[in-house]
Amino acid sequence: MITLTDIERSAYKNVWVVAEVLAGNIEAVTHELLGAARELADARGSEVWAVVMGSGVTEQAGSLAAFGADRVVVVDDPQLTDFVDEVEAEVLVRLIEKHKPEILICGATTRGRALIPRVAVITNCGLTADCTGLAIDSDTGDLLQTRPAFGGNIMATIRCSNHRPQMATVRPRVMAAPDAQEGRQAEIITEPLNQNDTRQLKKILEVFHSDETAVNLADADVIVAGGRGVKGREGFDLLRQLAARLGGAVGASRAAVDAGWIPYAHQVGQTGQTVQTKVYIACGISGQIQHLVGMQSSDLIIAIDKDPDTPLMQMADVAVVGDLFEIVPELIRAIPKL
Amino acid sequence: MRRHIQKKIYHVEVLPPKQDTEKLEADLERFANKYNRVLDNGYCACITDNAMGLLAFQGTELIEELSLPVKPEQVMIHLNTFHTKVELDIILNTCQSMGIQYLLAITGDGSDRLPKLQPADVGAEDVESVTSVELMRYIGREYSDVFTMGVAFNPYEPADHEFAKLDRKLDAGAEFIITQPIIEKNAVVDKLLADYPDIPVVLEAWMSKKLHLLSDAVGYEIPEDTAYDPMATLEMLHRTYPQCGMYLSLLGFKTQFDKITDTWVS
Amino acid sequence: MKIVVCIKQVPATNDAKIDPETKRIIREGLKAILNPFDTYALEEAIQLRDQFGGEVIALSMGPPKAEAVLREAISLGVDSAILLSDRAYGGSDTWATSYALSRAIDTIGGVDLVLCGKQAVDGDTAQVGPGIAAHLDWMQATYVMAVDEVQDAGMTVKRMHEDGYDVCEVPFPAVMTVVKGINTPRVPTLKGRLASLKIDIPVWKPADIGADVERLGLDGSPTRVVKTQPPPPRSSSTKRIEGSPEECANALLHELRLRSIV
Repeated sequence: MITLTDIERSAYKNVWVVAEVLAGNIEAVTHELLGAARELADARGSEVWAVVMGSGVTEQAGSLAAFGADRVVVVDDPQLTDFVDEVEAEVLVRLIEKHKPEILICGATTRGRALIPRVAVITNCGLTADCTGLAIDSDTGDLLQTRPAFGGNIMATIRCSNHRPQMATVRPRVMAAPDAQEGRQAEIITEPLNQNDTRQLKKILEVFHSDETAVNLADADVIVAGGRGVKGREGFDLLRQLAARLGGAVGASRAAVDAGWIPYAHQVGQTGQTVQTKVYIACGISGQIQHLVGMQSSDLIIAIDKDPDTPLMQMADVAVVGDLFEIVPELIRAIPKL
Repeated sequence: MRRHIQKKIYHVEVLPPKQDTEKLEADLERFANKYNRVLDNGYCACITDNAMGLLAFQGTELIEELSLPVKPEQVMIHLNTFHTKVELDIILNTCQSMGIQYLLAITGDGSDRLPKLQPADVGAEDVESVTSVELMRYIGREYSDVFTMGVAFNPYEPADHEFAKLDRKLDAGAEFIITQPIIEKNAVVDKLLADYPDIPVVLEAWMSKKLHLLSDAVGYEIPEDTAYDPMATLEMLHRTYPQCGMYLSLLGFKTQFDKITDTWVS
Repeated sequence: MKIVVCIKQVPATNDAKIDPETKRIIREGLKAILNPFDTYALEEAIQLRDQFGGEVIALSMGPPKAEAVLREAISLGVDSAILLSDRAYGGSDTWATSYALSRAIDTIGGVDLVLCGKQAVDGDTAQVGPGIAAHLDWMQATYVMAVDEVQDAGMTVKRMHEDGYDVCEVPFPAVMTVVKGINTPRVPTLKGRLASLKIDIPVWKPADIGADVERLGLDGSPTRVVKTQPPPPRSSSTKRIEGSPEECANALLHELRLRSIV
């Protein structure tokens, strides 16, 4: 393994945040990561840099100053309109080699989780996925990365002493976004795309932002989820109403997905998505282990079920014994409109 | 099925080896022995289909691989809705070519590893999921007059609901009924026999001493310390329900098999 | 088409119990199973082979007992299997794991497509697939939810994103990770299972794949786990709400207000 000497290591400075750019917009997770990066940079006495790769993103890049960025590296090129992992990885590797950041963090989104592992391998760096805690070790100055493993059953703290930059991904909503400080300025560094890969690359033919697959479970503060007890598609319409009233998303158990009541993108659990929300409201979900591993790290778990003895009703912080078809409409009525 | 009852042909459940067995070859041999004994004694071997959602091998592939004999009156295959369309057609085609006549159509229990038939697979519209009803409609359409299909009846479910389900199953082509295990005279079964006099009914008799397994299987509580004598219960069921056939689950091939030869007297 | 499917043996959570104190899953004493996401990668590979010809090779790295998941892959219908097993591989993080797998894929030779599950359920990192692509310097497509078309030079696939999906044309050779919805995995047949008992599964050591041992195992891993601890326990008491639907709804509303959700 290629490891760095102390002198080589000391050449690496600053905390980088790779911005999440969706359809030309910088996503909120970028602000959250800048908040975390600010704390790390302060502990290291260094700067926070943001890296924005996309098409037509230069104008927005400056807005990241308000969230704590001291410098913003912008690569604005029509070739970056769609997400081509290989191109973005090549750009990022070159920027890393040129500017030598000490720490690099990125959103643990489908894009971030595709891009950063590629970059980590090329740059011989360690990478920790889905961190829930990032801190600086006061003795060594190393980044301490804490992440859940095995569906949140174990928290592991990981260190990467001999390689720079130290890389981590963080899920949306795990870190709090700082309040915007209007008037704060950042230096904008414009870098060209300079793509050297002459091979035939991946071609993005079409991009769909469809409602059917747009289920941003990772981004939701509240998830209203349904299982077998929801009984059918109509039942999920009821849950959608509740979720809409709470500004949340709709989740589902494997049983409900397998029954064809709701698309797979809504599935929470081992073979679906792992979520960590403020409030998880489980309606008519018995709570098979496969489901529990996907949501047990939520802050507050509420279960509504006729059967008081299901695993989920026993695990929940709040267990409501009753008919969800009676309780949920009452709840929708009781919640003041947004 | 009437013939089975008149001729006092027991339905003996034979469980196929599980997918995750570590001694597959020994299990296959045991399966073949049990199957052959059932047929040699003139009974009907009933092979389950991933019972309780536990992955096991299919009856058709076992019969094929082990070159077991098939006598049309003496083999029944359970068939549930946890299959891919391709698998379902292979099973049905194999049954047809082997001359297997009796199918027990059940909705069945799923598991993480089991695929589920989708409504489009069986040409069912307006349903959210495939049950034994859609499965039988499909078989009736695609394999017209090839099979005699039976369905399950659960006397422990709320009766109105269960009878309404039964009507849908009969409408979909079911020609006989096999109940969940009963261990005493049962009012819902009595009503079934009274209201559906033309449909052959086979009662499942629980041949294991372990009643808690039955509690698990049917989901109703039986006190664990209840003393239970399977052979005595079987005799009682014959006396109480002489018009019914018998389906023996968890029959002991060492201890019970030879004793059932002259249990069915009436 | 020559396809390699990378699979992993993981602990099964199906029959895990919940600790009444911490309300979390008890991990000890669990059976080892094939990573559930890998079943979709295997199925996709088998379907592609059956449609377009070629061969499918299952590849795994792990202790000798990980051979079980390779036998399972054989019973599902893959043509052959290779196990990377040696002390030198032990303790590999995702960098070193993807290095070892990429060396094995290179050794196999002539591979057009590598398929992986989107992630393993024990580590949940989703890093090994893109890691293999990076080591091989191949194209990658992650979270693939559908294969639309297969041409000689590449494949057109749909990639799932949080906000929808995109359709992309990926030239071969490529590494793809697949999500659950892509297909319906078959269960093993008896014929397949019997075949899996007889097949010889070669075990490849670092020397067999031309791997630099300094890049393998704990020593070859940039990351170090320095501490593991249980997560903060969930409250062990469950607040039970019963009553009329209206009472239940009001009590729930109170809980949501406490969390500033309403």
